[in-house]
Amino acid sequence: MVSELLKTDHLTHTFDSGEAGIFDICLTVSRDDFIVLAGKNGCGKTTLIRHFNGLLKPDTGQVLLYGQDIQKDLTFARRKIGMVFQDPDTQIIADTVFDETAFGPENLNMDREKINDSVNSVLALLDLGHLRDRNPATLSGGEKRRLAIAGILVMEPDLIVFDEPFANLDYPSIISLVKLCRKLHQSGHAIVMTTHDAAPVITLATKLVVMDKGRIKAEGDPVPLAPCLESYGVRNPFTPVTEVWKL
Amino acid sequence: MTLFSYHSGGTLWHTLDVRCKCLMVCLLSLTVLKAGLPGTIICLGVLMGILKTLGLGPARLVRQLKGFLLLLIVIFLSRWAGTSGDPMVTLFGFSLTRQGFSSGILVSFRFLVVMLLGLLLTVTTRSMEVKAAVQWFLKPIPFIPEKRVAVMAGLSLKFMPLILDNAREVNHAVNARCGNLRKNPVRRLIILSWPVLKKTFQSADDLGLAMQARCYSENRTAPRFLQNGKEGWVLILTLIFSAGMLLTDYLPA
Repeated sequence: MVSELLKTDHLTHTFDSGEAGIFDICLTVSRDDFIVLAGKNGCGKTTLIRHFNGLLKPDTGQVLLYGQDIQKDLTFARRKIGMVFQDPDTQIIADTVFDETAFGPENLNMDREKINDSVNSVLALLDLGHLRDRNPATLSGGEKRRLAIAGILVMEPDLIVFDEPFANLDYPSIISLVKLCRKLHQSGHAIVMTTHDAAPVITLATKLVVMDKGRIKAEGDPVPLAPCLESYGVRNPFTPVTEVWKL
Repeated sequence: MTLFSYHSGGTLWHTLDVRCKCLMVCLLSLTVLKAGLPGTIICLGVLMGILKTLGLGPARLVRQLKGFLLLLIVIFLSRWAGTSGDPMVTLFGFSLTRQGFSSGILVSFRFLVVMLLGLLLTVTTRSMEVKAAVQWFLKPIPFIPEKRVAVMAGLSLKFMPLILDNAREVNHAVNARCGNLRKNPVRRLIILSWPVLKKTFQSADDLGLAMQARCYSENRTAPRFLQNGKEGWVLILTLIFSAGMLLTDYLPA
């Protein structure tokens, strides 16, 4: 069985505005991967993942999904690669939890009965069933994040990309999100997660990729690679907190 | 969540077919433009009663609609001062007339009723339903891309509370740095509007990306209208109520 899901082939993207871009990125995501993409703010993590489903088009290079250039069928790429944005508020389109989750399948012109069934089962899976008629604006940060994931899961993606998922979350919400990520990974979804704090997921990750100034500086087994994070402006998750804050 | 956001619930107004709600709002808005003061006041009272059952009591309305009420006062005063007739008071050469007073009250109340009708629609209707209704109403009209117009209408409704939220947040940030001490209203408006616009455009950009990421296209699953079976009755009662509002003008004083 071919395990290669996504591959970026010498991907380069620069911005006219002078913002830092990404340069010559070669990265392979396998079906059973849980990749943590670490790096400080502005190192190009978000720019890179926005190429995965064609939200950004590279200047040179290409993104291959199951060996096919994603530009040939963007709808397929966006179905198979679900993206959870950093700020769930900007991702929410509808006025109820149910409508929000149904947005993706409706775009795919799926049958109404099938939409209702899949939305109900995804909401139950993410423990949002009791909130189906609530306005998303009234949900807590953790619930909003789960809702964003529900909106992705209902489209049955193979790869879920999280952009800084722990930003603005309290401790219990972080724990619950980490558990959910583990569950999703165990149920067969490949995961790519950008973060500047690798601590919550370092033990779940199968690969750690370190980015700096738009380039991949290191990649490999997360635990042995973790100490090098400090030199790229990211906290080593194994350094005791008391030592980190010894100013 | 702002006053204009969708408030979930299971009341008659929430479960009513959105097309019926739109017709009802249009009919009452048109009637109120023709009705006199007694009819308008009765309509206002009924609307306030309905909004109270939805958890939007008068105190909350006054608190959250301060800006709009201020606008109504300005309209009232300009009508009072700008209509000729029998003078009530004369100030600095300006005559405030009896006719101006009644006309100002009537116009302000009409504006208030139309605004509250809109509020009743937005708090009980999901933007997806409004989008579906717009699409349904525009479908028979040739040369109008009904799906695109419907998405625009739905997104505008979605953005109204977002803009108000952004404005409130920016206002708090400005006041936290004593921005409220600035007396020049134009300067204050400029200070507020630039970050609000920036935030709103940024949100629109992000929303566009999120929609693209979830395969947005115009060719979507057809919307299904919820119905509670009382639509016929509601429309008949609205018609009777509208006729009643107009007839109050002919009652003996």
